[in-house]
Amino acid sequence: MAVLSQASTLSTRKPQNSRPFIARLMTDYGQECVIIAAILLLFVAVGLYNPRFLSTSNLTTIFSGNAYIAVAAIGMSMVIITGHIDVSVGALIGVLATISGTLAVSGYPVWVAWGAPILLGMAVNFIVGWLVAFARIPSIVVTLGMMSILRGGLISITGGTWISGLPKAFMIAQWKPFGLPFPIIAMVVLTLLAAWWMRNFPFGRSLYAVGGNPEAAKATGISSERRVLAVFVIHGAIAGIATILFATQLQVIQSTVPPNLELTVITAAVIGGVSILGGSGTVIGSTLAAILFAAIGSALIFVNVSAYWLRAVIGGLILITVLADMIRRRPKK
Amino acid sequence: MASNFEQQRALEPYVRLAGISKSFGPVKVLKDVSFDVRPGEIHALLGENGAGKSTMIKILSGLYQADGGVMEIEGQPMRFATAKDANASGIATVYQELLLFPELTVAENIFLGHYPQKAMGRIDWTAARAKARELLDSLDCHDLHVDTRIATLSVAQRQRVEIAKALSHKARILIMDEPTASLTEKDVTRLMEVVRSLKARGVGIIYVSHRMPEIFALADRVSVLRDGMMIDTRDITEADEATLVSMMVGRSIEQLFPKGEAKIGEPVLDVSKLNHGRLVQNISFTLRRGEVLGIAGLVGSGRTELALTLFGITPATSGEIRVKGKPVSIRTPRQARDLGLAYVPEDRGLQGLVKSMSINENLSMAALDRIAPGLFLNFAEEARRAVEAVKRLGVRARAGIHQPVGELSGGNQQKVVIAKWLETRPDILILDEPTRGVDVGAKAEIHAMMSDLAAKGLAIIMISSELPEVIGMSDRILVMNNGQVTGMIDRADATPETVGGAMTAQAKSKEAA
Amino acid sequence: MSLRTLLRHETILALVAVVLLVALAFQSAQFFTGANLLNQGRLMTEVGLVAIIMTFVIITGGIDLSVGSILGLTAILTGVFWQNLGLPLMAAAGLAIAVGTFCGFVNGFVITRFGVPPLIATLATLALYRGLAEGISQARSVRGYPDWFYVLGQGNILGVPTQLWILIAFAILASVLLAATRIGRSIYAIGANEVAAFFSGLPVNRTKIAVYTASGFAAALAGVIFVSRVSTTRSDMGTGLELDAITAVVLGGTSIYGGRGSVIGTLIGLVVIQSLKNGLSLAGIKAEGTAVLIGLMLIGAILMTTAFNKRRA
Repeated sequence: MAVLSQASTLSTRKPQNSRPFIARLMTDYGQECVIIAAILLLFVAVGLYNPRFLSTSNLTTIFSGNAYIAVAAIGMSMVIITGHIDVSVGALIGVLATISGTLAVSGYPVWVAWGAPILLGMAVNFIVGWLVAFARIPSIVVTLGMMSILRGGLISITGGTWISGLPKAFMIAQWKPFGLPFPIIAMVVLTLLAAWWMRNFPFGRSLYAVGGNPEAAKATGISSERRVLAVFVIHGAIAGIATILFATQLQVIQSTVPPNLELTVITAAVIGGVSILGGSGTVIGSTLAAILFAAIGSALIFVNVSAYWLRAVIGGLILITVLADMIRRRPKK
Repeated sequence: MASNFEQQRALEPYVRLAGISKSFGPVKVLKDVSFDVRPGEIHALLGENGAGKSTMIKILSGLYQADGGVMEIEGQPMRFATAKDANASGIATVYQELLLFPELTVAENIFLGHYPQKAMGRIDWTAARAKARELLDSLDCHDLHVDTRIATLSVAQRQRVEIAKALSHKARILIMDEPTASLTEKDVTRLMEVVRSLKARGVGIIYVSHRMPEIFALADRVSVLRDGMMIDTRDITEADEATLVSMMVGRSIEQLFPKGEAKIGEPVLDVSKLNHGRLVQNISFTLRRGEVLGIAGLVGSGRTELALTLFGITPATSGEIRVKGKPVSIRTPRQARDLGLAYVPEDRGLQGLVKSMSINENLSMAALDRIAPGLFLNFAEEARRAVEAVKRLGVRARAGIHQPVGELSGGNQQKVVIAKWLETRPDILILDEPTRGVDVGAKAEIHAMMSDLAAKGLAIIMISSELPEVIGMSDRILVMNNGQVTGMIDRADATPETVGGAMTAQAKSKEAA
Repeated sequence: MSLRTLLRHETILALVAVVLLVALAFQSAQFFTGANLLNQGRLMTEVGLVAIIMTFVIITGGIDLSVGSILGLTAILTGVFWQNLGLPLMAAAGLAIAVGTFCGFVNGFVITRFGVPPLIATLATLALYRGLAEGISQARSVRGYPDWFYVLGQGNILGVPTQLWILIAFAILASVLLAATRIGRSIYAIGANEVAAFFSGLPVNRTKIAVYTASGFAAALAGVIFVSRVSTTRSDMGTGLELDAITAVVLGGTSIYGGRGSVIGTLIGLVVIQSLKNGLSLAGIKAEGTAVLIGLMLIGAILMTTAFNKRRA
């Protein structure tokens, strides 16, 4: 008695599933469109003011030099979409870079030096994810503690010395296949891959469910614990990839944590349209936002504004975006 | 269309509960409940809040597991460990608080958790959207686009998505929990058509509602739960409104509800054409000193919403409130309290008490200004008042006034909430379900206390879903339905029939306007 | 919960502190000298001031991550108002504290008016306030303050560091405020059950705004003391301060979920952390090594309290 499946054929009306392309783009990717517009506007305006802004070398710096932030923001977006946060990612990248660099100069094969940060990133974030998902400690507390552990551990072990003499084969960020810097390729490929995965696989979709309405997710039979743990582990792996891009772009690795990297990464995710309350957003937006920041940072220099204002600009942007998000989500009427 | 054989089968229940019981801690929520639904039948389920309906629904949908009794699907014993098990057995539920994901599209919400998939587990979006379209069309929802985000939809539209979601599980039984509670008149009509068409396709429907007209228009059979027990199941043709209402609220009268004689004094509260949203419409009444004004109505009639509006929690959008003759504006509970209002809320644990804090601390919470006229708390005075209140109201606490209220029984917790508000020396006391979840002894004590307070000149508004309580305690009864006043009955005329009748009556059309 | 468990947690922690102090005294002869202990008190003051009010914030169920940035902004503004605007130093410091207090008010306003989760709101202002400090200072430090100013951060009154007196006064005031006034009672009630507090007519939003404003004030005051102690202003002052403060609060038995905690507990937590830092540095371990320990203690303390609560429930 497959009553229902037959019943649907009774309907005589034709399904109307098509919408104009532009309308769909604006409703589904509104935030992304806004950011692209902002990037283009910035490039045109600053380029007119100071044409050197659009020189190849500057564009390479903007895109290639900041690709690791965009990559790290992919994992951060997933974490925030499931309703959590990670403030330890900057410290993690610092630690992993040192380990990776040390392995490379100690003569290990490059694949070990590349593989280690990915595996270790997963291992560290497995602990974080377990504490958040199963021990039910708020993610902010766990990651604040982890940030302190990683940061303190890094400096006390290395004493802040720089690693130099990295083998040439290790420097993957300096590759230029097809004339394009490798970090840009990695950023684009990873972003598209993550976006595709989150769009087209049940697991990816369930992250939105867990972050958007945990109660409803449970009633639908989606358990949040395992997914939260998995997301943190994936985030750790992506942080490992970001580390490789970061560690191999210069001849030396500073054995300190890039200051405020976690904040830049979180901001990229949030401004890219990932709602801070969880449940919505895409990684394409976060990558675009990371590019926008890099461009703003660079533009400040080209229009002779001190780069010291960059963080104030970014802080203001987060506050405005969060307020806009809250107002948008406020129940109507 | 249906063959003889199918008609025969249709009489066999698809799902049957027998002797189901369920407890939470020491509280028995369901006692020996039996219930069944046949394919193609609309089975209405009635009961007041706390009667056990939602627990029963949750057992049927796999969110709770019964402690005792059996559940059968097509004659086979079954146990659901999760919501997925229930879905797999053809039972789907549309909850009152719709369980949708606001940032996802219609199609996604319908298929979340059981997407049509392609190779490697990829979601087949084309198929999902097409199937979602089919399901919506089969519900006559041609206006709903499958790519729309849920956040942008109206409540009625979201509900249709929920129904489509339920059907996507190939549901044979659809449980609808108060589906019309927040719908407009037009949407209700449309929903009823949808329900009828589902019935015509052989889906069995458990229809939980308090709205009598819908039940009589739709249901084939009706069951009534009260205090966790199944009171009766009968054909709709053998039921009428009055009997159903009395089955729901007419609990056996264990003792009389004596409201003592009290001198009715001057008016202290004048409410005129008060409005807030759909459930508080054009409410007008007067309350006098020494009077107990009962407010009766079924769940969702607007009785609690009226109290929330009076107390400034959901401030009135229009209308006038006068306290002791003076027009006032009440925008926050603080203002209400300062004007001499007190509100003992419906949800004791969430709204009434801070469970982790002591009796002492809870008792002084609404009257901190009195215990701390300056900035500092007068601990001696606080304790003195607490000891006195505990004694006066007969709160039983092993560890005295420093015991956390969360450890007290329901009746004693309620006494603490009442005592807390009496500490503010109010002129007007609003009691929302003052005896729900309270044992018989404590109930009598609370009733005696109300009489006593009224005799001392306090004006009391009592909201209750127990008809004997309302009739026994009230000097006058204001009856509400659909957010409007449908009757104002004096003590002398108050009978279960008159009050029960007004509870399901429609408001006289716009005479107030 | 109530007094009993609260006392128990604090008693245990106090015992831990005593054992720690004794162990450290045995381990290094320098540790248990008056000079060292007073100096530790001096170093503890800035975190202490912030942690005391952070206790209030966390009891209401919130969190304030922006305190370190407010400290930095206040420090910078003190220098800028004095040197660049030519204000008398007293007025410059007062004005800077006023701005820092206002920063706290902005946090409270954003949280109550727009319903932004405190974590997110203060994460955003953490970036904003630090950014303002960096932008205003342009990485220039201001030095050369008049001698009298250093009394605050480097001087002694009756043989005890000046700022330690301030911390003691602040702690007493805060303890009394939290334990014995109606504001304190409201703070506990809001953290334990905000709905019931609102239904009881308590001024929920006003109390929250007041608490975040006080948090801004404490951070700002700590900023001025910091400048006086180290004789200079830099825009990165107070980075990571929020972590130290939160750790002290949580270690002191305040529930991260709100509704429970005490100033005394926070003070003991501070002492434990500071003596560990001191002991480790006397043992030759760098400051960064203690950061690892603080991180571990933060997670461990919460893990223990959640496990403890689960067993009780």
